[in-house]
Order: sequence, then C-alpha cells, then structure tokens
Amino acid sequence: MTSLLNNLRECFPEQIRAVEETAPGQFTVLLDGPDATEMARHLMSGYQARLVTVFAEDRVQVEGVFYLYYVFDRPGDPSWLILKASVAAENPTFPSLAAEFPAVNWQEREIQDWFGLEAVGHPNPRRVALHDNWPDVHPLRKDFPLDTVLPPFEGERHVYRPAHGEGVFHIPVGPVHAGIIEPGHFDFAVAGEPILYLQLRMFYTHKGTEKLFENLPIQRAVFLAESISGDSAFSHGTAFCRAIEQASGIEVPARAQFQRTILLELERIVNHISDAGAIANDVGFVIANAHAGRVREILLGLCETLTGSRMLRGMVAPGGVRRDWQRTQVEAIEKTLKVVQREFRDLVAMLQSSNSTRERLQRTGILRAEKASMLGVVGVAGRASGVDLDLRRDHPYEAYRHLPFRVPVYQAGDVRHRLLVRIDEVSESIQMVRAAVTQLPDGPHRAPTQPIPPDRCAIGAVEGWRGEIVHWVHTGYGNCLERCKVKDPSLNNWPAIVEAVEGNIIADFPVINKSFNLSYSGTDR
Amino acid sequence: MENAAQLFLLLALAPLVTGVIRTLKARLQTRRGPGILQPYCDLGKLFRKGMVVPETSSWIFAATPWVVFFSTVLAGLMIPMVAAEAPLGLFGGVLAVIYLLGLGRFFLALSGMDSGSSFGGLGSSREMTISALAEPAMMLAIFTVAIGAGSTGLTEIAGAAIGQHWRFLAPAQMFAFAALALVLIAETGRIPVDNPATHLELTMIHEAMILEYSGPYLALLEWAASIKQLVLMTLLINCFWPFGLQPTWFGFAALEGIGWLLAKLLLLSCAIVVLETVNAKMRLFRVPELLAVAFTLGSLALVSTFLF
Repeated sequence: MTSLLNNLRECFPEQIRAVEETAPGQFTVLLDGPDATEMARHLMSGYQARLVTVFAEDRVQVEGVFYLYYVFDRPGDPSWLILKASVAAENPTFPSLAAEFPAVNWQEREIQDWFGLEAVGHPNPRRVALHDNWPDVHPLRKDFPLDTVLPPFEGERHVYRPAHGEGVFHIPVGPVHAGIIEPGHFDFAVAGEPILYLQLRMFYTHKGTEKLFENLPIQRAVFLAESISGDSAFSHGTAFCRAIEQASGIEVPARAQFQRTILLELERIVNHISDAGAIANDVGFVIANAHAGRVREILLGLCETLTGSRMLRGMVAPGGVRRDWQRTQVEAIEKTLKVVQREFRDLVAMLQSSNSTRERLQRTGILRAEKASMLGVVGVAGRASGVDLDLRRDHPYEAYRHLPFRVPVYQAGDVRHRLLVRIDEVSESIQMVRAAVTQLPDGPHRAPTQPIPPDRCAIGAVEGWRGEIVHWVHTGYGNCLERCKVKDPSLNNWPAIVEAVEGNIIADFPVINKSFNLSYSGTDR
Repeated sequence: MENAAQLFLLLALAPLVTGVIRTLKARLQTRRGPGILQPYCDLGKLFRKGMVVPETSSWIFAATPWVVFFSTVLAGLMIPMVAAEAPLGLFGGVLAVIYLLGLGRFFLALSGMDSGSSFGGLGSSREMTISALAEPAMMLAIFTVAIGAGSTGLTEIAGAAIGQHWRFLAPAQMFAFAALALVLIAETGRIPVDNPATHLELTMIHEAMILEYSGPYLALLEWAASIKQLVLMTLLINCFWPFGLQPTWFGFAALEGIGWLLAKLLLLSCAIVVLETVNAKMRLFRVPELLAVAFTLGSLALVSTFLF
C-alpha cells in the first residue's frame, strides 16, 4: 500500500492534499476539488483496483462542502484505499465515472437523488433511488430534517424504454408479486417467448435507512443495521459493528471473533441451502425444496439455541457478541452439523442425479465473466462468473485467518454454476464451523463498551452469504453517528440480472432471478 | 338413469381425483397436505365469493366459463366410465370428445387474450402451441384403438375391449397407451409440461389463461379442469385397461364397475404423482419435443396395428 500511495503522490502531486490512515489498514487520500476520476482511472488501469463503492456525505454546515468517497481495494492487498473528494456547496456537481465503469451507475444516481449533486456526464442521469413522482427534495442533506412530512404525491411518471416490432410486446411484472417476495418492478420487452431486454425498477421499499442512522445512539443503530436485509441480519449487524470497532479502536476478544465467525457461516449455510431448494422449486422439482426446507429448519433451530433468534438477530454488538455460550450450546453445533452434513449430502445427490433439473439449469441465464467484472458483480453471482472475490480471504476479519477454506470460482456463469457455488460453499462452511468450534478460545465474549470517539471514519466489511457487505461510518458527538453508508451486494448485482436474462425465454426468468436471489430491502435501504 | 348417474359421478368424482393427487404428492414430498376434500371446499368458497371482471373484457370473458364447463361435461358423458355403454354413446364418437375438449380450449385461449392482461396472452399462445401438437398425437393413439374395434364410437371401442384384459400388452396397444399418457400429462397441465402448483405467472400455461378469473367463474373453470382431467384419465384407463368394465349400467354390476373405476383411477393417480415428483418441469421449448415423442409413438402404434 505504501508504494501505491507514493506512486499516487508522484503522479498527482497537485491534487493530493493529505493522506491519512483513518483506521487500521484504511487509507484516506484527501483530494483537492471534486474530480477523482483521473486518479480512479489510474488506480483501476494501473493497479487493477476495484471500485467497491461510491458515496457522498453532507458537511456543508461544518465545512461548507460535500464529500465524495471512492472506496477501492485491489487483489492481494488487505487494506482499503479511500479517495475523498470535496464538492463545493455553491457548485454541486461532480464528474461521472458511470460511462467507463457501469458498476457505479446506480450509486452515482443515488448521490444525485439523495444529495442533489449532479453527476456530470452520466449516460443515464434519471432518478433511481427516489422515484420520478417524488418532489424535488434531497433527504440525505443535513438541512432536510428527519421528521419532514412531504405533501402527498402520486401518479407514475417513469417512462420505460419502448419496444417496437412485429409481435414485440411488453410484459409488466410487479411491483407486487405472487408469493412471499418483496416489491420490485420488472418490465420485459419480449418477442414471443424470448426476452429482448428487461428494465428494472427498484427502491419501492426505500426506508431512508441511511438517514435513520444519523443521530441514532450506537446501541440502537445495531438493530437498525440488522434490519437492513432480514436474511443477512447477522452479516449486516457484524459489518456495522466492525465499522464502529475500527473507528473507535475497540479490540474484539478472541472468543467473540470465533463466535461471530461461526454465526456468519451458519447464516451462509442456512441461506445457501434454502436457495438450493428454491432454485429446484422454481423448475418444479419440489421434492428437493421440501428436503432443503427440512434441513433449513434444523439449522434455524440451532440458530435459536445459540442466539435466541432463528434469524440471528440481537446477538452481535460493538465489542463482541451479547451472549456467551455454555458447553452444551457449543456441543449442539457439532451435533447439528453432523446431521446437516449428512442431510445436505442427500440433497446434493438428489439435485445432481436429477437429469431434468440439470437440463433446466444448464446454460440458463448465463452471465458472462467480462460482463460480471464490468458491472462489479460480487458474491455468489460473481464467483459463478469468474469474479474471484471473497472478503473472508482478501480482507481477513474475525477468525477467518485461522481457518482454512477454499473459495469456489466457476467461469460458466449459468444458473447451474450459481447453484454449484452455493453447494461448494456450504461444504466449506460446515468444515469452517467445525474447525472454529474446536479452536473456540475461552475468555470474555465482549469488550467493555466505551463512548465512541467523535469524528472518526471507518469501513466495516463482511462477506455476507450473498456477497460483500460494506458499512462506512462517520462517528459524531454523543455516541451517535454523523453518517452511515450501507452497501448491500444486491445493489451491484441487480443490473447483472438484466444481462443474464437477455435472450432467455420469459418462462425461465423466475429461476434465473432465484439463482441470484437478491435482496430488495438491502438494495432500497 | 345412467345419464344422471354418470353426470353425478363426473361432477362429484372430479374434485376428489384432484384432491387425491395433491395429497399423494404432498405425502411424497414429506408434507402433510390440505386433505383430499380440499378441492370441494375451494369450489364451495369460490362459488360464494364475489367476482372482479376486467373492464376491457367482452362477452367472451363471461361466456368462457360456461362454454368450458358444459363442453367438458358433455365430453364426459360420451365416454364409458363404469359401463361400456356411454350415456351419450349414440351422439358421437371419440372425435366428438376430442373436439368438445378443443372447443373449451379455444374459448379459454380467447378469454386469456380477452382479459387484456399480458399474462393471459402469454398463456393462450403457450396453450395453443402445446395443444396443436398434442391433438394429433391423441388422434393417432385413439385411432389405433378404434381400428381394433372397427369403430370410432367409444361404446363400441370399450365394448370390444371387454374381456380382452391382457390386450394392452400388444405392441400397438402399448405404443398407443404411451402416446395417450403423454398427451394426458400435457393436456392436464402437469409436470413436466406445466406446473399446476406454481405461483410464478411467468411460467404458467393453463393458470396464466385463467389468471383474471375470480369467484364463481373461477370455480366453474377449476371444476371443468378437474372434470377434463377425470375424462382423459378415464378414457386412458378404460381404453387400455378394461378390467372390471361392465357391459351395461345395471344393479350390482354398476357398483362393481364403480369400484374398479376408482381402483384404476387411484393407480393412475399414483403413477402421475410419482412422475411429477421425480421430474423437474421441462423448459418450455422442450415441450414440443416431448409431444413429438407422443406423436411418434402414436404413429408407431397405428403402423403396428397393421403389422401384427
């Protein structure tokens, strides 16, 4: 990282105002002016750096500027590099990177909607996070009070790209769907059965979560973090707590690190198994789903034994975890995993031996590797399409550096390989949990809490079961937060579905969508 | 008398068959299932409910449930169920049965488009693609049997089959049976062709066409779908497994016939359930291949009647 920073100082002597290690392994480069694009290009082409997330912060009342943060990581380097560019309040514009790096397309538009900063040169600068019928407000600005009541607005002003041609028509699906899923609108342009293109519209469940974090006492903010995406409660909670710990220099005791690791992996196992069943269910192979549901239930029981919550809520806390485990609870992990491993093997055998299922999944919904890396796809979907990223290995946290594991990566990028990534990861995770249980150290399960020092910034990143979850916090006075940025893996991966469905027939969309299984709530926040 | 008896049997037995299949399926999937009488409760509930009719729809939307229901019941009265002699046996042969079912399907497809929903149109186009391929296969299979009986009248076909219990082991009969079984799966919207239990509109065929129906109209359509399933199943078992088929509706013979019918239906239901459970649904564009197999089997059946 030092050589990289020196290189940046050499190449951009005019632009760099300061370099600071804001948290252990997190380097913030403060830039002069709003233009980080040259440096971003330099990092991405010269250092294969990856733009993890882009977000803004309103510091107008304190410093008279907005800040833009560009978070990078690069292969083989466990540190984070953050470019911090300032945008003057009088000229709220910043140069857009979306044309070159489509991965930031939605994120730059979020900044436009939430902060009112214009992304100059954005190829599609329409609204995304606030729908078109919203009044002209920018809720994440500090001069927008949390209790603002907007005048009622209705109607739909969004215009979808039209499709023309003989036998070409639109199929609108959603935003309210059959089944127990969240809202999102899918507008298919189809020529008979084959899909010409799909247009997505998300943010129906936008809850202003990032706004809610501001001024919330940190103890309560953990619960908010857990509710960002219900199926990733523990991962989001842990990412948030890690950000707080990094910002305030809290050392998490070794026992808690192992406990967190075990629970993170349990969350992965539960969700991957239930996804494997759901994918089978969507091609009508119901019996596999029934088995997966049964195994999931066993695991949820274990989660309840360990944390008191089937969905692992209320367990993680800044400084460690809320509950210590008795010997019997630790033994329950080993005992349950033995059953789960056997049952899971049966489930995999059932899925692998069903020719009709394989026939449906193979070559369905292909996301090609180059598209995946272009769109910044992360997590399971990325690893099935050759994107070799895993924060557990690349930025080791908690107890992961003590546990051996393999990161499965496939190149094919179809539904079947997204299923295979899940199957492989479940096997790895079971081994990891077992290893973690045998190594589980004694000692305290939580570091004593202390008031969080103000004005510190830090990233907390966790590889959730769906992909990388990044929380960035800026602490404020009175044990409160100044700003909390949440990046759920779904945000990057939704546009990848658009690529994956093209040319497939519309009857295959549900299973393609299920193979990604993205969170609407996590995207919309 | 036998008219009334068969009508009653059709109307009353059809939801039961659906219920039995669903319950067996649930058990095989380690679920408890809602119980075999659930379809009756569903129909009762739907008949008591109000209706929502799309504003864009025409008279077709209102007429379709009746057309579908009555054409299916009429087709049901033309097939031998308990006795070889079908109540409306003189009225028409097997071709009339096929075309009565075709009439119902035609109206269903029309109403799918009439409702103005894009799912309806999608379902109609899929249904028509599949039925256009299923129909010839069904014809060929039926003709094979008809040639054996020397008539396309179902009463004659069934009558000729009585007593020849092991006839279905003949190659022609086996080919025809396989062809008709595949058609049965396609026509009743079962896995691997269609998934009757799905909630995913985008994958539906039959369900997509009736997506806009509610209340009593939906009840009629659901009931008709059950009856159609019963009709096709009965056609299959009575043409190929004439065990226990009685020459006429008469006293205890009729009871014995009903017993045999129920046993055979249960056996066929079990086969359907196993097939549905061990298979995943086919990719939509592979369904024509399945029906091509049915057509080929039907052709082979017809050819082998003349060879053997």
